[in-house]
Amino acid sequence: MTRIPFDPDAIRALAAVLAETGLSEIEIQEKDSRIRVVRAGVAPATVAVAPVALTATPATAVPIPAPDESSHPGAVTSPMVGVAYLSSEPGSPPFVTVGETVTAGQTLLLIEAMKTFNQIKAPKAGTVARILVANSTPVEYGEVLMILE
Amino acid sequence: MFQKILIANRGEIALRIQRACRELGIPSVAVHSTADADAMHVRLADESVCIGPPPAKDSYLNIPAILSAALVTGAEAIHPGYGFLSENAGFAEMVEAHGLTFIGPAPEHIRMMGDKIAAKEAMAKLGVPLVPGSDGVVPDLAAARDVAARIGYPALIKASAGGGGRGMKVARDASELEDAFRIARTEARAAFSNDAVYIEKYLDHPRHIELQVLADGHGNVVHFGERDCSLQRRHQKLLEEAGSPALSTARRDQLGATATAALAKIGYRNAGTLEFLYQDGQFAFIEMNTRLQVEHPVTEMVCGVDLVREQIRIAAGAPLGYGQGDIRFTGHAIECRINAEDPATFMPTPGRVTAFHAPGGLGVRVDSALYAGYFVPPYYDSMVAKLIVHASTRLDAINRLRRALEEFAVVGIQTTIPLHQRIVDDPEFQQGDYTIHWLERFVAR
Repeated sequence: MTRIPFDPDAIRALAAVLAETGLSEIEIQEKDSRIRVVRAGVAPATVAVAPVALTATPATAVPIPAPDESSHPGAVTSPMVGVAYLSSEPGSPPFVTVGETVTAGQTLLLIEAMKTFNQIKAPKAGTVARILVANSTPVEYGEVLMILE
Repeated sequence: MFQKILIANRGEIALRIQRACRELGIPSVAVHSTADADAMHVRLADESVCIGPPPAKDSYLNIPAILSAALVTGAEAIHPGYGFLSENAGFAEMVEAHGLTFIGPAPEHIRMMGDKIAAKEAMAKLGVPLVPGSDGVVPDLAAARDVAARIGYPALIKASAGGGGRGMKVARDASELEDAFRIARTEARAAFSNDAVYIEKYLDHPRHIELQVLADGHGNVVHFGERDCSLQRRHQKLLEEAGSPALSTARRDQLGATATAALAKIGYRNAGTLEFLYQDGQFAFIEMNTRLQVEHPVTEMVCGVDLVREQIRIAAGAPLGYGQGDIRFTGHAIECRINAEDPATFMPTPGRVTAFHAPGGLGVRVDSALYAGYFVPPYYDSMVAKLIVHASTRLDAINRLRRALEEFAVVGIQTTIPLHQRIVDDPEFQQGDYTIHWLERFVAR
């Protein structure tokens, strides 16, 4: 049988996040690996999200609700109401990935409002520490999209 | 019926609309600025979308943000409330262009009544009495002199793009006309980007009496009686009554019949209010508001109707289902607009409400988004609550109002509750003996 590589520390860390936040399930995918941790004995929570259009983009990290990030100095917040897209079109690679270094003015994602696509650019140079929105989900004004460090 | 309604407003009216939606079983979307993130209607909302920073032009007047919020949440209709975009015909058209329903009149009627000159011309053709005045725009000072000489002084110069008491200047005699004319045009240009003005005879002791109308999309038009809104300071209403102490049932029926016939002829739809000045037994149409009004609750109490629910039903295509003969007027209602202002100086007092206790009991209604701990933001209108009382007679309503005002506790900000308490104890108010100039004189005492 093929040995499946996995990272026990990552799983323990995720389990701790579950316990701390009261969530019941976390799933993370990066490149070819995916981890899913489910808290035993907890019914799956139904998350109310607006209908998400199906696209062929690679699955992105599901945001883990964190304490209010808008005060983080590297927070990139949404300047408008619309739908966030992490790549320029379905099937193409995302504009940026976690860990990538970006320059000031580099396009991080798109927000579409009423058929117009608006580029959201990095306000300063930095490294993408977290991506807090999933592809093709609605965002509101002021919502934290990414954290740059 | 709509599956979801977006409420494009804030404060007490957003809560009012949300309540009607909830009772109809319709999920609603609350849009809000960052300053309103803790507003009561946002806290109670099925869904909420932050649409911009505090300034109204970037949030509640931000058409792309509001339309975008409707599209991403799947809202099918938008209720604009009052103020903000409620009388913006362009917005109504855009809502419809995006396949959504605007809960209100057709854009063409919003446009017609938004141009005060066009509104008067339309009403004159339909037999609605007007204030004597110019025949349309007064293009220059010479024309102004002619008009004023014909109708007599004092003359009132009004901005065609104005309304709601804004953009008006009085010339008491011929010597004042030139200045009043020029200043009115300058102000109109600055406030409304349109310096077209018209002239009306200035009435020196009128009452402000307005008529609530409702029309469905099937040609049925009814009225729900009048409201007396004469108690105004700087053209802002402070207290309203249903019905007017000055009107008999016969006069009301007469006015109602004329107004509903006129609106039926133009094919009006949804709610509206025709505003009149009433002096020496004569009505004179001044303008029509093609939206729900702040003071709609007094009409609701007297007629037993939910006007916001009716607006939603009509917008969804339902017929009224009743006629003029089915509408009954019971008792008397009074509304006090309570502002976050110093009751003597009228300076706005935003800030945190540390304690809040609303009055209750028979015939008492409070429409307010206040709660203990709420921070009244400084960016918006200062009205924070409406206290409405209903009783069998006007005297009983006044006594109930006095009792309710005494119970009403708002701590942490100043409010105009003490002013209302003084008004309620005034003999002239108790007699119903007041005109649109009364309150200015009262506060100056």
